[in-house]
Amino acid sequence: MSSSHASTLDIRAGIRLALAHFEHLLPGQAPIRDFVHHNTLHGFQHLPFPEALQAARELTGQYGYLPAERFRELFRQGRITRDDLARVLLEDPELAASLPLEAVPGHALRRVDLYLTTLLYPFPALTGCQLNWHIEELEVMSRFQEDVPREVRERLITAASHQGLAGEAEVIGDLWGACLQVLGLESFLVHPEEMLDLSPTQAEQMLSQIQTQAAEDEQRPESLVRHLMGQEATRQLQELLQRVGRDLTLGGLLRQLTGRDPMQELGPLLVRYLGAFLDQGVAAWHPETRANGFFAFWQASAAQDLGWLIQDLPEWRNHLESLPDDPLDSLIAELRRMGLPTELWVGYLERLCLEWPGWSGLFLWRHRHPGYQGAGFPVEMLDYLAVRLALERIFAQRLCAGLWGVEASLDMIRWYFRHHPAEFMVRLALYTSRLPEYLVNKAQRLVNRPGIPGREKDRAPWHRVAQLIWTWRRSPAADAGERRASETAPRADNPTEHRVFVSGWRLFRLAQHLALPGAAIRAMGREGAEELLAGLALMDDERSGFLWLQAYEHHYRDQIFQAVLANHGRGPWRERRQRPRAQLLFCMDDREEGIRRHLEEIAPEVETLGAAGFFGVAMNWLGLDDRQISALCPVVVTPAHEIREVARPGAETRRDQRAQRRRWRRWAANLLFQESRRNLLSTGLAMLPLAPAALAMLAAKLIAPLSTGRLVERWRQGYEPEVPSDVAIHAGERAAPASPEQPRLGFTESEQADRVQGLLRSIGLGSGFARLVVILGHGSSSQNNPHRAAYDCGACSGRHGGPNARVFAAMANRPEVRQALHQRGMAIPADTWFLGAFHNTGNEDLQWFDLDRMPQALQPDFDRLRQDLLAATHRSAQERCRKFASAPSRPGPEAALAHVAARAYDFSQARPELGHATNAAAFIGRRAMSRGLFFDRRVFLISYDPTQDPDGRILEAILLAAGPVGAGINLEYYFSTVNNDGYGCGTKVTHNLNGFFGVMEGTSSDLRTGLPRQMIEIHEPMRLQVLVEADTEILSTIYQRQPPLQELIGHGWLLLAAKDPERPLIQVFRPGRGWEPWTGSDAELPRVATSADWYAGSMDPLPPALIDPGAVADHV
Amino acid sequence: MFDALIWLVPALPILAAFAIGLGLLSGVIQGEKGEWLTARLALWAAGFSLTLMLLFALKSLLFGVPGQLVLTPWLTSGGVRLYLSFSLDTLGLSLGLLVSLLAWLTLRFAVNYMHREPGFHRFFLLLSLFDGAMLLIVLAGNAALAFVGWELAGVCSYLLIGYAMDRPTATLNATRAFVTNRIGDAGFLVAIFLGLAWLGGIEWPTFAFGAPQLDTLNAGLLALAFFLAAAAKSGALPFSPWIARALEGPTPSSAIFYGSLMVHAGVYLVIRLAPLFQQAPAVMALVALCGLLTALYGWLGGLVQTDVKSALMFSTTAQVGLMFFACGLGWFDIAALHLLAHASWRAYHFFNAPGLMHLTPDPLRPVPAWLTRYPGLYTAVLRRFWLDELAEVLLVRPTRSLAADVDNFDERVVTRIAGLPDPVGHLSSLAEWEARKQAGGDQVEGATGQARGLLGRLLEWFSEILYWFEERLVLKGSGEGLLGVIERLGRLVDLVEYLLGQPRYLLLLIMATLVVIL
Repeated sequence: MSSSHASTLDIRAGIRLALAHFEHLLPGQAPIRDFVHHNTLHGFQHLPFPEALQAARELTGQYGYLPAERFRELFRQGRITRDDLARVLLEDPELAASLPLEAVPGHALRRVDLYLTTLLYPFPALTGCQLNWHIEELEVMSRFQEDVPREVRERLITAASHQGLAGEAEVIGDLWGACLQVLGLESFLVHPEEMLDLSPTQAEQMLSQIQTQAAEDEQRPESLVRHLMGQEATRQLQELLQRVGRDLTLGGLLRQLTGRDPMQELGPLLVRYLGAFLDQGVAAWHPETRANGFFAFWQASAAQDLGWLIQDLPEWRNHLESLPDDPLDSLIAELRRMGLPTELWVGYLERLCLEWPGWSGLFLWRHRHPGYQGAGFPVEMLDYLAVRLALERIFAQRLCAGLWGVEASLDMIRWYFRHHPAEFMVRLALYTSRLPEYLVNKAQRLVNRPGIPGREKDRAPWHRVAQLIWTWRRSPAADAGERRASETAPRADNPTEHRVFVSGWRLFRLAQHLALPGAAIRAMGREGAEELLAGLALMDDERSGFLWLQAYEHHYRDQIFQAVLANHGRGPWRERRQRPRAQLLFCMDDREEGIRRHLEEIAPEVETLGAAGFFGVAMNWLGLDDRQISALCPVVVTPAHEIREVARPGAETRRDQRAQRRRWRRWAANLLFQESRRNLLSTGLAMLPLAPAALAMLAAKLIAPLSTGRLVERWRQGYEPEVPSDVAIHAGERAAPASPEQPRLGFTESEQADRVQGLLRSIGLGSGFARLVVILGHGSSSQNNPHRAAYDCGACSGRHGGPNARVFAAMANRPEVRQALHQRGMAIPADTWFLGAFHNTGNEDLQWFDLDRMPQALQPDFDRLRQDLLAATHRSAQERCRKFASAPSRPGPEAALAHVAARAYDFSQARPELGHATNAAAFIGRRAMSRGLFFDRRVFLISYDPTQDPDGRILEAILLAAGPVGAGINLEYYFSTVNNDGYGCGTKVTHNLNGFFGVMEGTSSDLRTGLPRQMIEIHEPMRLQVLVEADTEILSTIYQRQPPLQELIGHGWLLLAAKDPERPLIQVFRPGRGWEPWTGSDAELPRVATSADWYAGSMDPLPPALIDPGAVADHV
Repeated sequence: MFDALIWLVPALPILAAFAIGLGLLSGVIQGEKGEWLTARLALWAAGFSLTLMLLFALKSLLFGVPGQLVLTPWLTSGGVRLYLSFSLDTLGLSLGLLVSLLAWLTLRFAVNYMHREPGFHRFFLLLSLFDGAMLLIVLAGNAALAFVGWELAGVCSYLLIGYAMDRPTATLNATRAFVTNRIGDAGFLVAIFLGLAWLGGIEWPTFAFGAPQLDTLNAGLLALAFFLAAAAKSGALPFSPWIARALEGPTPSSAIFYGSLMVHAGVYLVIRLAPLFQQAPAVMALVALCGLLTALYGWLGGLVQTDVKSALMFSTTAQVGLMFFACGLGWFDIAALHLLAHASWRAYHFFNAPGLMHLTPDPLRPVPAWLTRYPGLYTAVLRRFWLDELAEVLLVRPTRSLAADVDNFDERVVTRIAGLPDPVGHLSSLAEWEARKQAGGDQVEGATGQARGLLGRLLEWFSEILYWFEERLVLKGSGEGLLGVIERLGRLVDLVEYLLGQPRYLLLLIMATLVVIL
């Protein structure tokens, strides 16, 4: 008694414990309003990259590399070369690629040639029918395979001519014969339809085969066939039932036996319950019972639900009443009832969650963030699981009772199918394997036949069809997979068993691509052929995917490393011997690479710098117009300070007026978009005056988005007066200590100095200050875009980073702070002024903060800088236009700016901007390393001066902060691109926003997480290549010290390389092996006078180029 | 003479759809490169048709509405005459203008929105076709022409709900929508039939002027049949569930079909036939009741929806219910005005659906407290009053079992009596071979050509004669003519069988029988 009690306790604790682990399996995406990029496979980050992808695939079935076909396309486009592939192949120790191919003597082939061929061409196994089709329709026996290159064909023909063969048909025919011969196979053509009627010889042959196989059986049953079939059914049933809790749920089991998908039938209902419970403001009516948790809400609602009555499930009511009120008790009761062994319970729940990962993930996210957005109701993962389980039971019960007249438990299902093995075989074969049409028809007919469940008289037809299927599977016409399914387990794994349309066909294709004539195949014999086939088998899609990816990265890496080395010593401001005209600090964001480069081209005397876009100021921000705070800092940080925007003294009336008018506008927007769908009669009345306005607005927005957008903007600005404001940064010196739990208003004197000093030191700006130092936060604006937050600043939790820039500048300008800094040894000249600004990466707008506080003396400097920056935004727009299909080709600067601005205003535009698409690398170091190079907006640029950081502490902090942020962005783009259906969220076009927390496809699908297709179309999925300007020894010690970096870099989620601060030398870090110097080609880099000369008129990704104002523009 | 150009208004978009279709078939239009041409074709056609509508509207404003316009006789059969006619009165013109404007705007919206979608061309083709179909509905001068548009619009809707063909839910919902609409179509067809029988014509004015001559019962039946069509198309109760399931397609198509245009087609039909409905007080009461219930259903449903598209859809359903209610009370003008206003506003609303989160920072105002005191009602609303389940039990399942029964009957009785080759009978399996061998009978009879059953033997004998006949007379002689006749006869029989197999014809047959009995 006591021991069982203890074990129950254990189980309960075990389940609760397991919930925490689910975090690793499910998407960790926040409600979409707070979207922040993160590694899609964050739960697998403890594994090396390729292993993680494989593990994820085993769990969820999602492939983590680009499809091979896509890689081959990139190969044809020259984005990957044969050389890249060869180098990667030679680096993999498991492949031993440099060794000669012993199987093929006298042909001077190395293993690497074999591997290259398997990467460049597909070698699919066929089915019998496909082989027939290839032979009959494509005449493959007398022609070269289509994809064999011309010169390989010629080689093969020449080689074969020594044998005395002439002509394509003869050579190929001989080759096919040779392939079959060495593998001991016979060619045949069997159509599945021929199995409709067994010929006596065929039957005789198959029977005797079976009898010899079964000869060892000591007792020969009366009917061998029936005996074998019975054995097989028992085994299959056993196997299938054992999978429940491992990789199947009860619903999944039934899907394999009935073809009915529980999630499709329960989906609409579940979505409505979940939506109603989690809703953040779409619905007007929320259930009262929501306060008691999801399970209680569902239970109360289900008790009133008449659906079960209508659907003929009267016993459901009793069951519902018998369910305990506690979700965990209910969970346990259901699992017990199902008859699942206790040790499989957690695995079962895991499977259940993975059936709809989107909803499960969101629920878990809310579970882990209690009180999100002030939600006054508990969101408990246990509740969710209990409801899922109970709903699954309804479904299972309905099916089991209706079809077989049994209770929906594993024991009863086992019992039923033990007594109806034929039905089991037919069902399983129909729903889980490929059968020829005539068998599908028959099986389908049986399955759909109305009948009384389990009646004896009805068994005969099942037996007949089961026998037919079994016979077909034993026949030579069946596919390898089918055959395997029907054979006993140990035989199935026999590797030496060859089949014509599998190994025979693959060898045949391979020989053609390696230019091996029939004679060579015969010479190598079976062993040689098997070695070739083993090489082919080694390159499974996990391995080849990873090899392709590495080659792809390799190609890009060589280009940028070569460029960086070529640039060594060219870039200005390595040391600030003179004073720069101005310094501009941008976000490290890859989208700012373009505008920085253009600004530097326009005004070479200006220095640009980069840092994470929250500029070291982690804060809760409350703007004048805001009604709730938002945390402006990386998502892993919880701010301990709150900063408010306040109206300047004397501007209170304006502030109030603005607040009043904004309230009106909100009220009107609310009336228009919310009330008009909520109310019945008033909506009808309101329609009449609204309609003409709506029609006019619709037409205006669609015909002239830019003018309309600007007009609305102007009107809004006129209507809501601008309020002169300040940021309340200062806390009294006696303020309570700040903590994430109790954020304090404002920073103390020393906290301010800490922040200013921290950032300036981090970016290496300790001396040589210009008169104007501009801090530019960024964000993006777009319309009709549920994923809007994904376009904003990742370092500010997916929000606009303007306030951070403004707060930083305000702090850095305070004399007290300057004083404190001076005492700490950082002398900022008295005439230096910090200016906060905001760059909109969508419409390229610039916004300046607190300009009126700027000393008058700086006005001319500022005016000039503003002019230059304005010109830079134009050119940046121009550069962006080259990637937009609908942009004018080669637009002038004005036209380009108008185009990008129009996109941001256009509510029909699914691609307002391209976000981080194409991001591929991150540079940590002085801008001098990369300045003067064209990097195509693909590089995160983080400023860091190794000469000011002898012990590497600053670098350590940068790597710890920027590493995860960069990897998060990069990997989310990576996974959403390689498998948009599995890891991304599909096309925006059918998205439907649910509850303000996520998007579905249509009205009853899983929540879709990841990035939409429109965001990743042009992305080149590769892992982030981090290049740090630092000494390798310092990097090594940091790596040793920091487990998070060991995980990211050591496991290959980030690629690390170091540029020597003094010499033109790059070393690549190889996990497990250490640093290796990089040697690349020494080819000349293209030289252009301006970036525009390089990219104009091209839509494709471009390699780096040296920008040299002296160069003659020869590339136009 | 200008008036005669009215046929171009619906014809242009339909032609554009055909042109896109041809381009796709011939390979001229394909992939991303073809988007420009597709979009131009669709936009220019819709734009021309909009311009024409604007001119018509302008002309009518200046010189008065042209009214009923008969272009040319279409079909003449016995006493029945159908015309190619258009109704250019205030209702037709204003709706025509709105339809062509919204369709053109939707196309413009889709140029950017659908860029690089694999279904881009399909989408534009269907949207153009839908534009033409809607224009036919609102401009047609008679029920037959309107019915053509009615059906076309239905097909477009079906194909666009199933836009994501790879998602089972989408295709399932598309089929559900299609089937529900067929019930309405049956009503429309019966109404056409009755109109021809009782009024001798189906021009809209014929209904208007002929209605007073009909007795109340006949007028009621006629109006009822039309209302059946209207209710199904506009998603009034009890047909409401299909329209909430129809939101699987791309946002612009959801906007124009279910938010703004097609959903109003039913209301338009009732308004168009106002004089007829006024002759049938009982049907008017039914319309009002149905409208009121639909409005309540939509309103309550809208309060609990959490996904934006469904929320908008329920609100639309509620407003459409109000329109029916107004019709039922005889306030046809108000209904028409409401329709025009609602279609415009809701289009805007739907187009902005993806960005709703950013347009309104505030959550929706909660319902009044008294409503929250009915948790049972909440469940009922959340479950949409179990209409889907009811339809499943009352319609889908019986139909399915009937089909299964018929199939079974076919297989077990018809096949056996007729001695047709039985797909089950023939096959052999290893188990059988083994059994046979054990029984000692190594000799195997050829199963081919062996007939079963009495009828089978007869047929065998008969077929031998036929074979002889064919050998001698048909193939060797100058039997070309004979063969041709047989072939044509066969095809005719096939056609009849096919038509009978279509539920709508079956329904039509049943309804026609009912009417004859009445």
